[in-house]
Amino acid sequence: MTILEIDNISAGYGSGPNILKGLSLKVEQGKTYCVIGPNGAGKSTLLRAICGLLHPRSGRVTYKGEDISKSRTDEILMKGISFVPQDRSLFPDMTVKENLRMGGYILKDRKELDQRIEKVLTMFPILAERSSQHSKTLSGGEQQMLAIGRTLVLQPEIIMLDEPSLGLAPKITQQIFEMVSFLKESGMTVILVEQNARKGLEYSDWGCVLDLGTNRFEGPADTILNDPRIQELYLGKRRNNGQEGAE
Amino acid sequence: MTQTLQVLLFGVALGGVYALMASGLTLVFGVMRIVNISHSALMIFAAYIAFFAFQNYSLDPILSIFITMPVMFLMGVAIYKIFFSSIKSTERTGELTVLLTFSLALVLEGVMGYLWTNVYRSANPSYATEAIFFGPFFLPKGQFYATVLSVAIIILLWLFLKYSRIGYAIRATMQNQAAAQVVGVNVERMAMISFGIGIALAGASGSLMSYLFTFYPGKHWEWIAILLSLIVLGGMGSLAGALVGAFLLAIASALVGYHFGPTWSPITFFLALFLILLVRPQGLLGKKMEA
Repeated sequence: MTILEIDNISAGYGSGPNILKGLSLKVEQGKTYCVIGPNGAGKSTLLRAICGLLHPRSGRVTYKGEDISKSRTDEILMKGISFVPQDRSLFPDMTVKENLRMGGYILKDRKELDQRIEKVLTMFPILAERSSQHSKTLSGGEQQMLAIGRTLVLQPEIIMLDEPSLGLAPKITQQIFEMVSFLKESGMTVILVEQNARKGLEYSDWGCVLDLGTNRFEGPADTILNDPRIQELYLGKRRNNGQEGAE
Repeated sequence: MTQTLQVLLFGVALGGVYALMASGLTLVFGVMRIVNISHSALMIFAAYIAFFAFQNYSLDPILSIFITMPVMFLMGVAIYKIFFSSIKSTERTGELTVLLTFSLALVLEGVMGYLWTNVYRSANPSYATEAIFFGPFFLPKGQFYATVLSVAIIILLWLFLKYSRIGYAIRATMQNQAAAQVVGVNVERMAMISFGIGIALAGASGSLMSYLFTFYPGKHWEWIAILLSLIVLGGMGSLAGALVGAFLLAIASALVGYHFGPTWSPITFFLALFLILLVRPQGLLGKKMEA
């Protein structure tokens, strides 16, 4: 079932040029999507346009049949789409618990919120351990866990992660990707933007390659991984000397 | 010794009032990076409201905070809506807000001078001339009430920021505006509310000023200089910093005034300002700012 449909959207910042130029994508419920592409392709802009931080100049974003392209971020969060930005975007001088509380800011029912915070803390024992520490004192991996945990307070149906492995050590990166698998197993639809394209695709069902603001290729993740053209252009595979001579 | 302690007591009492005055200024800077040069002009404006309410309707200046705070809150919201929502995302927002609030201060000064002339004013409720004794020490009654009220308002402000839903959202906006947007905070609305609260605090300060100090429209230049030095010392945008700066400098200026004569006490603020900018420009409790 298609849960989210992006239909021919164009978007850009302020009075600047369009970053997204007529991009379309259908997102199936419960699948994991990996969006890859060179810098400036519009990957982050796409996520921002979906969650209402940026309104498309034209085209439509439809969630469960409802047009959300003009909705505010809090309305979109309420409907079930959450976003973890690239820099993790925590509140440095708030404790881990207060950060989680902010994750549920749009919930008016305080009791419900407390319960959900407890639930997230049981999912992440490391966060429970540090629940009264300021988030700026956490390590990079813990901060990423907190950023993800913060969105889970709202129990979203779609979770969008913008480069979750950025700046993390390989071992921690592995943990983050296992987290992604876990989110998928719990029934969430995941949209992942990854600079580490190979790894991102390995953990995804579907891959899309963005370039210059449009959806250049898309297909099952393993097909994309093994497509020689894409390997060459976007996965950074080096051609060996013999082949290079032949071309 | 007793003399010095008495001077210290004056300093602490005055520090409480300074802290109230500075808290609104630092809140507005913390949330929106607006250096509100017109903060003290708005204080004077509120002082006139309190003064005339006392003069014409014998309303107690302390009780007048129930008028000045809501009136100034609304005025703050209106000022924000009219002047700030349109320039917020331009490139030179920081410089623009300084110029804008500077001109706002000039306009307010002019309007107040036109309406109420430049005569020195001060309300004189009964407690303005009485004293309250603590063993061998004393404080003017009015000063004592003002300090207690200031501290109470600051505690309320702190509780509001710490525990209320809007308080959470305001702190979140101060700490990371982008993240606040991601979790669904209406950042624009929070900016407007905090500006209103900041100006409401200027309103409460004005009520106290109406009987603690003499004032006239042009007096706000002296006040803004003092208040800016307090919050720069403490760290701009930090509420705790504003308190520390207010108490430190109020005590220091009281001691300087006692030992070298009252003409020297204002210089304490500017000397402290120079020193802190040389040694620790982000202030005692402030964070280093990105360029």
